[in-house]
Formats: sequence, structure tokens, C-alpha cells
Amino acid sequence: MSLEQAFRISSILWAGVSFVALALGTGLPAWLVFFTTVALLVSFARAVGAMAGWFSVPQVVRSAVTWNVLVLAAFFGFVVESLTSGELLYAGLRFLMVLMIMKLFRLRDRGDYLHLHAITVVMMLAAALRADLWYVPLFIAYLALGVWTLFLHGMTRQRGNQPFTTFATTPRQQTTCPSGFEHGEEKVAACFFQMASGLALAVLCLTVLLFYALPRLETRSYHNDDGAVIRTAGFSDSVNLGALGPIKLDPRIVMRVELPDRAIPERKGLYLRGMTFDHYDGRSWVNRLGRRWPIRQTTQGIFALQGQEGGEQMAPELLSRQRILLEPLDTPVLFGAPFMEAVSGKLPAVQVDGGGSFYLPVPVANPLEYTAVSRPTTVLPADLHPSSFPSQYPEEFLRYFTQVPPTSDRIAALARTVAQHARTPYEQAMAVQDYLARHYRYSLALPVSDHTNPLEEFLFKRKTGYCEHYATAMAIMMRTLGVPSRLVTGFLATEWNEYGNYYVVRQQDAHAWVEIYLPHSGWIVMDPTPAGDENVASADGLWLAWTRLIDHLQLRWNRVVVQYSAADQLAIVQGVQTGGAAIGHKVRESFQILLETITGLMEKSVSLLVTATLGQAVATGFTVLVLLGLLRSMWLFRKRSQGKPLGMKEENERAGGPVTQLYEQMLSYLSAQGLQKPTPLGPLQFVNIVRHQWAEVSSMVEAITTLYCKERFGKVPLTLEEYDLARQRLGELRNRTRFASKSDLQRGIGAGNGI
Amino acid sequence: MNSTEAIRSIQDNIARVIKGKPHAIELTIVCLLARGHLLLEDVPGVGKTTLAHSLARSLDCSFKRIQFTSDLLPSDIVGVSIFNRQKQTFEFVRGPIFANIVLADEINRTTPKTQSSLLEAMSEAQISVENQTYSLGQPFMVIATQNPAEYHGTFPLPESQLDRFLMRLRIGYPAPEEEKKILARTPSLHPAEELQPVVTAQEVLALQSRADHVFMDESLTDYILSIVQATRHTELLSLGVSPRGGLALSRAAKALALVRGRTYCLPDDVRELAPIVLSHRVMVARPQGFVLQNFEHAERIIQDIVDSVPVPV
Repeated sequence: MSLEQAFRISSILWAGVSFVALALGTGLPAWLVFFTTVALLVSFARAVGAMAGWFSVPQVVRSAVTWNVLVLAAFFGFVVESLTSGELLYAGLRFLMVLMIMKLFRLRDRGDYLHLHAITVVMMLAAALRADLWYVPLFIAYLALGVWTLFLHGMTRQRGNQPFTTFATTPRQQTTCPSGFEHGEEKVAACFFQMASGLALAVLCLTVLLFYALPRLETRSYHNDDGAVIRTAGFSDSVNLGALGPIKLDPRIVMRVELPDRAIPERKGLYLRGMTFDHYDGRSWVNRLGRRWPIRQTTQGIFALQGQEGGEQMAPELLSRQRILLEPLDTPVLFGAPFMEAVSGKLPAVQVDGGGSFYLPVPVANPLEYTAVSRPTTVLPADLHPSSFPSQYPEEFLRYFTQVPPTSDRIAALARTVAQHARTPYEQAMAVQDYLARHYRYSLALPVSDHTNPLEEFLFKRKTGYCEHYATAMAIMMRTLGVPSRLVTGFLATEWNEYGNYYVVRQQDAHAWVEIYLPHSGWIVMDPTPAGDENVASADGLWLAWTRLIDHLQLRWNRVVVQYSAADQLAIVQGVQTGGAAIGHKVRESFQILLETITGLMEKSVSLLVTATLGQAVATGFTVLVLLGLLRSMWLFRKRSQGKPLGMKEENERAGGPVTQLYEQMLSYLSAQGLQKPTPLGPLQFVNIVRHQWAEVSSMVEAITTLYCKERFGKVPLTLEEYDLARQRLGELRNRTRFASKSDLQRGIGAGNGI
Repeated sequence: MNSTEAIRSIQDNIARVIKGKPHAIELTIVCLLARGHLLLEDVPGVGKTTLAHSLARSLDCSFKRIQFTSDLLPSDIVGVSIFNRQKQTFEFVRGPIFANIVLADEINRTTPKTQSSLLEAMSEAQISVENQTYSLGQPFMVIATQNPAEYHGTFPLPESQLDRFLMRLRIGYPAPEEEKKILARTPSLHPAEELQPVVTAQEVLALQSRADHVFMDESLTDYILSIVQATRHTELLSLGVSPRGGLALSRAAKALALVRGRTYCLPDDVRELAPIVLSHRVMVARPQGFVLQNFEHAERIIQDIVDSVPVPV
């Protein structure tokens, strides 16, 4: 394989890797993915030489004007799209892809490849905005290919700057030449790839090092802002019966829950409490206690409920901790095992409502990690004793949590029948729970109901439903029996990832259950829903193990890379500090100062930008940049078509370098003294004239003229000393001209013909 | 020996014979380095032949002198095929043109036929005799002399022949002091015979190729072109300078820059050489319609043109 061919192939592969990363990371439209793939494959085939002579591109398509028009059209498409849709980033990405497709069909000379490389780099950068686990292998491939390409670029350039032969001719040349006699073309040896790959490895190590060492800012403005927020149901102020149904078919991961204190899963699964609902109007549940109030943060950064902090000291072994990585949701609820008492983490503020649910002020668009501390309740022995029933409920509890919808006589009758043998509220609850679990069928496949009372429909007609129906039924039945109860929505985590020892909670794990209030124990969790087929994903197998392993890696990725923050960095720095205290201290100090400065600056600039509408500013800047680039390339094209060497400035043809300007200045000084240089006279002749007419300054004029000739006509780059010399001489000349009276000059007429 | 020293040594060597004419010597060397041919035109006795002879003696090259007379035949110049009795074949006997430096003395005294026999040799450095082509040795330079004062029995050189001379040079009378030195010299031997070669033929070739690579800025090329254009558009000339004339000016300017120790040309080089290189390539327009080779007049016109074209700044 010749160097040039290797360069071509490597360039296209490089672009391909970038494209795959981009396509995986962002929602590119299917047609664009298709066309780009085709373009990449075709140009790869051409680079390999597999398609030699398949077709020849007509001259019209090859002409630069056509391409410029196409690029302009694509650009205007981009402008229109970004203005109409407002999604600047996506419009820009699409424009970039279109540019790449065009470039791929027009890879002729080195410049085209450089453009392709630039697009490749930008694509990879854009893909990094959605960096996920798949980014790692792609990034390694990108690095390796990038190093190869740059190597090959340098090597092919060293071999001489001759223009690339077109694709059509190269393979033919190679087939006519017996192998080994390819016009002295250098070949790519295996050791080249070894060396380049070694270098790529070194770059990768350096990148990793930099990633963990560079100071970072707590801004994640780009992460997952494309509406990838998971929609949930049941976490607003009201929940319609049947709302959880469609959600329960969605396997997307909502959160991952680690239990730092225990390494084995709970037998029944882990309840993750979301919101509570206390008022049922016959069709939907409403949270009347939804008014939230903020919790103050303790000095350790923990948000804890007031009552639990100072009062009774809890036995630590009774508490359970969960470390939760929450994916972006459309709800501000902070989930946790019942019953949450404190949360900690990188949280701006935390609120709590009357039902004991924790909230963030607003839903966040980024993955959020926090630790929840909760105290599971158990049924105290006092509540198992019949004597305590039923007088000891507080008044307000009865008012709030025994409310029933008006048409619930049948339900009340059913409840009484079911619980007729029960002596305590707890026994009643167990009886109802058993009854529901035993006599009703769990199914998600429910037809749409227009029944005015979906609960009665469930209990008496269909006898089929899912968690919401069960929970609603139980809550209402308990209420008719006079036991305070409420509906709770949340997730029931059952999927245990044995590789990382954590629960994987998916959208389909959304659940609703019941909490009943016992006079002594307080709220306890009851779940009438039988373990349905859908809930137990028992399809154990290789595939499941594999997905769990991948998910585990994904979590690690999130932990170690995505969530890696300045705080972690500081922790590392502090770890280092134990080794060398003084150095560590200094590093941390300067680090913090730097961080503070940068964050301050960032805040300032962000607030400035926000007031001036960030999108508009970015759009304007980007548009101007692209326009400038287009103008520049058109200008370059024009110059190239005129056959002038690139990069040579037009002004050079008249004015040379700095000394030429000094020379012109000198001429103006002399002409001010009446010693004008006739334009048809050569510079040396003029020196002779000066020598005859004003001998005093002839040495300066001669020195400047010599340097001027050297620079202007010899195109010899002058040294700094020479330039300084010329300036010095010019200064002397100026002094002379200043003090010279005009009579000093023996002015001669016809200087032009005088020699 | 670097190029400047080599050129300096040739100049000094010739100056030992040709007194008081450094400019003529310099231009002769320029002509040599530009691979050109030289037409020396002056009255008899100013040292035309001596100049040619001294140049040839200074180079380690072969030198032949051909005295052009009205009965000179082309075969006298290029050579002739003679029947060899022993071998029973015709053998080509090379004429005097097969030398590095050829002095064509009084070239306008011979017939146009004979003059034309020089054409191929001068432009292509080869000759063709009886369907055979012989290439001449390198370096090859023709130095022709002619006497402008005398017109009786002369055949003016045709334009095609003139165009092949790189420059036409007048030597002129020496200054009185220099002439005194000439008179004081003992006339025991032809002065040129005393000279020893200072430069080999190989070195001359190297110098010639160096002269080719002297840098000429694009603006100077434009300057030469504008001078050439001006000769074609002026009313005073009925025939302007041919493209070969522009090329010759460019080559001569490069050689002059080399002789003056520069690696790049200056407008001064072009200015200085333009009358010498161009004046014999133009025809002066005469109102009466009759054309006479009047080089002095042409030189003045060219000089006027050069003085009117602005040099690049």
C-alpha cells in the first residue's frame, strides 16, 4: 500500500469513526445517516481502489462552482432550519454532515483532505457532548486513526508537494506496475502502524491524565438537554387511575440504587417512595398535603427533617442508606426507601411536603446523585393487640386519611365482609391485602375504561387490574373500615445487578402501593399487588447477564467520568496531600482560587449572555463565522483559478518588506529636499546621482538602497540587524535633511539622463 | 574558486591587454556567461580582435579565427568532406567553427550565403553538413567584428543574423592616459599571446549555469516586457524587439548581476543592458523609406524608451 493510499484510507476511516460517534450520540435524521454512510462507503471503496473505473464524474459535477453553490444552498438550509426550529446545535450538526458528504465526493487534493479532517475533529467534539460508554472505544479508535492520518499526512507532504493524483488514475498505475516497482513510491510498513499506535496509546494516556488533572467547572449545560428527560406518570399533584399503565411497559432505566450498608438485595425488592396521595374523588387521587416547605441544610451538607435531628437519637443500625443515581426525570421528586429522613448530595435545595416526600425545587436535566437516609418502620407489638383499636387515631389523621368518595357503599360492604374476622387495624389490612392479592388478576393489558367509577369496575366487574387498581382498592377499603390510609407512587426495585451490587430501576418498575397508619407504629407499607408476570423479570440467561454487565460498566462510567467533578478532584488532591503536605496545600489553595475566579467569571458571563438571549448570540456568532469561512474559501478559489500560488499576498508584488517601506520613506525625505528620483531610474543609478549631488548623505542612501535591493529584488529575508541598520541610517538621513538648508544641494536638472 | 573570483580573474587577465576599457571587458564576459554571441562594431584599430583574442586566451578553450572575405565559402567555415584514398571513403574535415571561441573577423565582408552558414551554429550550437549533424563543443561563442565606417564591398548582416547576437558592443577610443600606456608597450609580441588561461572550460560552463539561476523578480520581468512593448509601439521604430530580444535582455541581465557579484537582478542591470542588447534588433523608421543600419540612432531611441519606462519600486 502506498503512502498516499494509506493516507486516503486512514482519513476516510477517521471520518467514519467520528461519524459513528456522532450518530450514536445525537439524534441524526435517518436519511442523513443513510447518505453519510453511503458516501463514506463509496469513498472508502474508491480509496481502496475497488471501484476504479466504475464511473467517471462528469465535468459539471466536478467544477468548483457547482460545489460552492451546493455549499451555499446547504448553508441557507441550515440558517432557515436553525431559525425555524430554534435547535441551533442540531441544525449545525446536520449542516456539518452535509458538508462532509460533499467533501467526500470531492476529495481531490491535500486541501480537501484537510477540510475533511477539520470536519472530523468538529464531529468528534460534537459527539463528546453526549459522551456515553460507547464513546470510549470510539475515542480510542479516533485517536489511533488520527495519529496515523497525521503521520501519513506529514510523510506524504515531505515526499514533495505534488498534487494528488486522482482516484481514477492511481489504481491503474498500480496495476500496470509490477509489485515492488511503484515508481519508487514508498510503502507503508507494519512497523509504521506499530509506532503510530504506540504514539496513539501515549496520547490516550495523556488524555486520561489531562481529563483527571485539568480543573473543571460545575457546568453541565450541554448534557442531555435535547429532551431526553424521561417522562413519568404519577408524580404530579394528581394521578388518574390507569395513568401508570403505559409507563409500565417502558424498559428505560430511571435510576440505580446502591445500598452502601449491605451487599445483597432485599428479598421482596426495594420500595422507592415517590409521592403520596390522600384524597380520592372516585376517579383520581389528589395530594392535598402537597404544599412544600424547604429543609435547612446542616453544616455537613445534609438535608434532614427537623424533628429527627435533635430529638430521639436513632439507633444507626435501624437506618438504611441508599446511594441513588437518578436519570433526568420530569419530576422533582427525590426517591428513597420508606421513610426518608435525610438526603445529601450535590443538591441546591430540598423541600418536603406533608406526605413526607422529598423534592428538588425544579426537575433537573442532568443525572443526579444523592444519598438518602431512611428509617424502615416495623409493626410494633402494641398494634397487634386488639385492645388498642380503634380509638387512638388523631383527629386530623381521620379527617385527611379516611376520606372516601361518595359512591362507595358497595366497597364498604365488601371491605366489611373481607375484614369481618379481623380485630385490629393491622389484621384488617392484612385481610384486605390477602383478599385482593388472591382474588384479582394482575394484568397490564386493560382496555380503555369509560366507567364512571373505575374502582368499582375493578372490584366487581373486571376483577383485573394493576398496581394502581389494587392500591386504590385497598386504600379505599381500609378507609371505609376507618383505618387511615393513603396511596403512594414510586418504584419497586427488583432487578439486582450482581456485578455492581446495585438495583437497576426501570420505568416499568413504576409502582403504586398503600400506606396505612397504625396508632403506635405510624405509617407502614402495605402492597396488595400480587407479583405479576411482568414484575418478575426472571428470564435469567446469558443475555441478561451481559446487559447487567454493560449497565454496570455504564454506571462506573457515570461515576468515574461523567460525574467526575471538581469535588472529586479536590478529594484526590487531598489524598495526595497526605503524601506531601506542603505541596498539597499549595495546590489546593491555588486550585480553589482558580476555581473561584473561573466560576465567578463564568457566572458573570453567563448572566450577561442570558440577558442577551444566549441562542441569538451563538447563532449570530456562528453565522458570521461560517460566512467568513465561505468568503475566504471563495477568495482562495478565485486566486487558485487565476493560477497564482496560494498564500502569496497580492500586495507583495508592489511593496516588499519593511525595508522597502523605509526606502520609500527615504525617497520622500530626499524629494522634500528637491532630490527626486525619476521613476525610470534604477536604484543604483539614483545612488550615483545622490553621490554627485549631495555627497553627505550618499553613504546612508547607499546603505538603505543596498538593503532595499536585497529585500525587494533579491527576495532575501533580511536579518533584524540589517533592518535596524536601515532604520538607523534613515534616522541619520532625516536628521541631515532637517538641518540641511536647500542651498547645500547643488541641484541638477535632468537627473534621469545624467548618467 | 567561487564565481566572483573566477569572473574577477578573467576581467583582470583581459585588462592586462585591453587598457582602459573595463566596461567593454565586463560586457564581453556577460555575453559569455549568458551563452550569447558578441558583435563588436567599431572602427579599425580600437582592439576588437585583441579583445576577442584575449578572452579566448584567458579561458582554457580552443580558439579559431576566421577572416571573412568576399570569397569565403561556407565550407571554409563549417568544414568539408574529403575523399580518403586509403579508406576509399569521404571523411569530414572539421572547419574552424569547431572551436569554443570563434572570432569572425570583419563578418560583413563576406557574402550573405557564407554569413548564413553561421546561423545554425549560433542558435543551436550545431552544424549540418551533407545530412549529417555535428554538435559543437561547449562553451561556444562567436565574436564577430565589423567596421561601420566602411561600406564599400560589404554585405550588411541580415536581421535574422543580427538577432542571433546577444549584444552589439562598441569599444571606442581609449582615454589619452590609457592610450599612452599602449604606446609605451614594447611591441615585441602580440599582447594577447602573453596571456595564460585562468579558467577552464568546465568552470565557464559552471558559471553559465550559475547565471541561469540568478533570481529575477517578477516585477523585473514585467519591466523587461514593458520595455519590449514600448519598442513595438513607438513611431520611431519600424520593427520592434522580438520575443527573442526580450529573452536575451533577461539572460544578459542575469549574467550581469552575476558578474557584479549579486544573486539577483536589479532594474539597473536591465537599464544598462537594454541599449546594448536591443539596438541591433530593431529597425529605425525612416520617412524616406530607405533603411540603413544605423545602430547609433537605434541606440539613442532605445535609451529614450528606457528613460521613459518607470522601474518597479
